[in-house]
Amino acid sequence: MAYPLTRQLWLKAVLALALLAPALAQAAESSAVTSPRVTATLLSSREAVAPGERFQVALVQKIAPGWHTYWANPGDSGEPTRITWALSQGATAGEIQWPAPKAIPVEPLVNFGFEGTVLLPVEITVPTEAKIGERLTLQAAATWLVCEKICIPEEGTLTLDLPVAPAAVVAEAAQSRIEAARAQLPAPAGFRGRLAGDGEGLALTLPGLPAGATELRFFPLSDTLIDHAAAQEIRRAGDEATVRLARSTAFKITGDEITGVLTYREGAVSRALGVAADVEPALVGAAAGPATAPATVSIPLPAEGADLTLWAALLFAFAGGLILNLMPCVLPVLFIKALGFAQHAQASRSQVREQGLLFLAGVLVTFMALATLVIALGAFGTSVGWGFQLQSPPLVIALSVVMTLIGLNLLGAFEIGTSAAGVGHGLASRGGRLGAFMTGALAVVVATPCTAPFMGAAIGYAVTQPPLLGLSVFLSLALGFALPVVALSFAPGLLRLLPKPGRWMLILKQAFAFPMFATAIWLIWVASVQAGPGGVLAALVAVLAAGFIVWLVGVTRGSGRARLASSLAAVLVAVGAGWFVVQSAVPEVAQARAGDAQAWSPERVAALQAEGRPVFVNFTAAWCITCLANERVALSRQEVKDAFAELKVTYLKADWTNRNSQIAMALAEQGRAGVPLYLFYPGSKGAQPEILPQLLTPDMVVTAARRASGKEIRTATR
Amino acid sequence: MKAKLTRQTFIAGLALAGFALAAAPASAQSAAKIGAPAPAFEAVDSDGKTRRLSEFAGKTVILEWTNHDCPYVRKHYNSATMQTLQKDMAKEGVVWLSVISSPVGEQGHVDGAKANELTKSRNAAPAAVLLDPNSKVARAYGATTTPHMYIVDPKGTLAYMGAIDDKPSASAASIEGAKSYVRQAMAELKAGKPVSEASTKAYGCAVKYAPVS
Repeated sequence: MAYPLTRQLWLKAVLALALLAPALAQAAESSAVTSPRVTATLLSSREAVAPGERFQVALVQKIAPGWHTYWANPGDSGEPTRITWALSQGATAGEIQWPAPKAIPVEPLVNFGFEGTVLLPVEITVPTEAKIGERLTLQAAATWLVCEKICIPEEGTLTLDLPVAPAAVVAEAAQSRIEAARAQLPAPAGFRGRLAGDGEGLALTLPGLPAGATELRFFPLSDTLIDHAAAQEIRRAGDEATVRLARSTAFKITGDEITGVLTYREGAVSRALGVAADVEPALVGAAAGPATAPATVSIPLPAEGADLTLWAALLFAFAGGLILNLMPCVLPVLFIKALGFAQHAQASRSQVREQGLLFLAGVLVTFMALATLVIALGAFGTSVGWGFQLQSPPLVIALSVVMTLIGLNLLGAFEIGTSAAGVGHGLASRGGRLGAFMTGALAVVVATPCTAPFMGAAIGYAVTQPPLLGLSVFLSLALGFALPVVALSFAPGLLRLLPKPGRWMLILKQAFAFPMFATAIWLIWVASVQAGPGGVLAALVAVLAAGFIVWLVGVTRGSGRARLASSLAAVLVAVGAGWFVVQSAVPEVAQARAGDAQAWSPERVAALQAEGRPVFVNFTAAWCITCLANERVALSRQEVKDAFAELKVTYLKADWTNRNSQIAMALAEQGRAGVPLYLFYPGSKGAQPEILPQLLTPDMVVTAARRASGKEIRTATR
Repeated sequence: MKAKLTRQTFIAGLALAGFALAAAPASAQSAAKIGAPAPAFEAVDSDGKTRRLSEFAGKTVILEWTNHDCPYVRKHYNSATMQTLQKDMAKEGVVWLSVISSPVGEQGHVDGAKANELTKSRNAAPAAVLLDPNSKVARAYGATTTPHMYIVDPKGTLAYMGAIDDKPSASAASIEGAKSYVRQAMAELKAGKPVSEASTKAYGCAVKYAPVS
């Protein structure tokens, strides 16, 4: 078993894995910009573009129920969605081809806008000089206002990067979505209208409407033409209809033409026409303004898409994996690995590389094993989620023992392996290789519970996707996690940045023992929450036994007979302590920990909402560092408590420290597979919650509390 | 209706306007009309005092519809353009009334104490903050957005209604280079000229109206 895999083979494997991930992404849709209200993406009808062609892209807004974004003329209040383009290769973008708006009443006002999912198509022109083989980058800096009763200005930069090819490659699914939306755009009317004064109001005469047209409504493109909320009275004479419109308080017409969209029904079908009308000269104001762009419109198509694209999930997972390296329990393990590289950088570069790859293998294998377990258990209907491994007290205790042992090892109390794997010996020895692999595995085991902020959404996505896609997200996570160490092993230049090996390494190594002990303390605390005082006792006994065993093995090294005896004793102690741990560490019934939080249940949320009380739900677990940090820096702050008291917010805590299928289901409903998750339910029956970010600030919570209590879900006046 | 109307004839004017409103299609539009007497109102201010438009006869009055949590209002307060405008107007002897029409439970609703605290914390300088939780003043003026600005001249005639400036955006970057319609109208009034842009399209968040009781 000298070299089970050659380095070349390893390299190939790594490359294949790295290439696999992006290949799974759809090139025709940008990664999403997401808020609790709007998920926006840029959709392209092309996977590759040809020089000189025109093609369609669309800004897709998936709007949460009860919220709306705005049309070109927003109506009584609001602001239209805007896109500022930055295009490479000298490409140009046309105007937004506006779908037909809906009149959205906000009594007594009316807004013109969109609900549900809306596609805003834009035509892109590729210059004939575009260079084949290069990329066309489309960057859309979009801003939009999204309102329920309250309004939130949002913005996002959406980027697509398409290859320029001799012939265009159509993205079939995206193309058909965009074309379906464009088919609904207002069609140019086959007539010109006339606009005349009619006493205090206006009369818009439309010749040539279909006889069966009902429910006419005119949406002018100018926001200074009509009173948006006023009823539009229709008079018909043959095929000519006259719409009576009330004038805007800011009435002003510039130019001799007005444009807008006329919506109507013909039987069961909703139709929209783009209308231009000649204006009676008497109505025209003095100043002539620039002509307004012709409008087009549609009825928003209900379209389903995942909240997070695969590409975004992969990226988040990769970033999350990178961040995991900084966790206090992981950093020392990795740093020691890096120091090992530094010591051997000159002597055996290839060995260092091999170490890096073995570490990578350890990370990948362990990650994939855990991910497979999570996905498999999910497939069999068992409600587990990420971090589930910390829901078992014996496992938590085992981890606290591992942490203690690593700490003792760093302090120099004992050395792993008997002879070959010592720090000063050959890294390429069997023990060294196994060690590198195991370091990777260990790093994963200690790191996974610390779900970094970026990983929540990605892992939530992973477990709701088909297994292969789910695994690719975990793979991306694993690659991100392994990257720093692997990069270090492959880049001697980076290693040279480290100071020369020397005494400082020993001191640093010893210093790193303390984060490990701190982690052990934290784990023992987790055990105390899960299993009560018995859990603490079990954990401490386990730590004691482990310490005793490594000491015993250490002092009896060398003498054959003593070694045999000590091994026997060690096994006995281990078995005894293990039995004791399993006996003592039986979980107690979980109880709400924080003083002012009450226990969560879906029924409780519904009951409180029915009473008109806003509800804040904190999905947390004792083993979740992000959760605890949020509780410390935001949720337990006085200003948050005050705001909750003032706004009569009920604070519920869903504690996932131990396994709980009800909580797992609630997380899944929000597309998550792990904690933290923060939900703010408005105090009205059945109202949907707002999802707060995974990193909280007191301000954020207070503002969300105001939103949840300071508003009602708009009553259905539509 | 170009004749100079005094405040005493407001009631008659309001009644007429009421008829006009009944005849016109139902909407948020109100009796407020440029060149006509500004609708009379009565509202309790943040100090609990009942205020009427009539008490400011002979002075120019500026009405500012506001909602401190609206992003458009925040744009003008965070950049201090609103406070600067208030202070500049106060120096000219103009009575500045901020009006909060959000009912209980809606964004922007505040009690008197909170309104005063907001004035203090934002270093604002209104002559008074009117609390209009039944949205009566908002209906009388047809206020649609926050901010929505109205100027009433010393004779009680409505001289300006509409946006605060010509940049309908919530982005702070839009403040630079914006033309203040309010400053323009005030300068023209001071010079004895007609207001060139007396009615503009207000922009911002919708005024949160109380249901008609």
